[in-house]
Amino acid sequence: MRLSISSTVLVYAGIPVAVIALVASLVTAGSDRTRRARRYRPGRPYDFQPIWFLASPERVSRPALEGHHADAPALEAPVLEDSSGARVLPGPVGGASDSW
Amino acid sequence: MTAGEVGQTPAKLGGDAAEGPFTTRQLLRLDEALRIADQQTGLTFSVYIGELEVPTRDFAEKLHGQIEQSDRAVLIAVSPNQRRLEIITGNEVRKRVSDRDAKLAGLSMAAAFAGGDLAGGVLAGIDQLATHAGRS
Repeated sequence: MRLSISSTVLVYAGIPVAVIALVASLVTAGSDRTRRARRYRPGRPYDFQPIWFLASPERVSRPALEGHHADAPALEAPVLEDSSGARVLPGPVGGASDSW
Repeated sequence: MTAGEVGQTPAKLGGDAAEGPFTTRQLLRLDEALRIADQQTGLTFSVYIGELEVPTRDFAEKLHGQIEQSDRAVLIAVSPNQRRLEIITGNEVRKRVSDRDAKLAGLSMAAAFAGGDLAGGVLAGIDQLATHAGRS
């Protein structure tokens, strides 16, 4: 059986070109997603918005809501501020610092 | 950015968090870790990831003060850009988690962060602090 010129071109050029185009499109589609890597790498700038995780977010006091909580202490301690306006906590807090 | 602005947007699995450095799976694990740590210890665990104003210690203490009943709250503040982490324990928590324990948790967190594992470090820190605090 002899193939005509058009079907020869279709089989030996058309199909490989179609396969190559398919693979190339898959590769570029994949690289689009990985280009915007959403992760932290040491030494690279970290430009995400600050996040604050809390199991119960309603526990963070907001100025407008203060004083309306049922479990607020009956006697509010005065808010102490140092010369720079920073709040001085009534009790000492503990903890640790580290850097990497 | 002031502490007040941060206080307005405590995000948990939504809003900012969706565009944060974590995958959905990591966010779910973080949420679960916080919930379990809260339940088991009776304390309030909280994680802040973002820029810290200098001096970082004072700023982190200010954030900690915004949490209700901050005496019974633990704040883990991480600043990837400044490569700095602060663990703040409230007055009551301090009796259960010594500063040495906090430093130990901070060390393992810093080790994970240095390897680029932000979520893993935070999880390890929560785990260690909750273990040291014991059951309520």
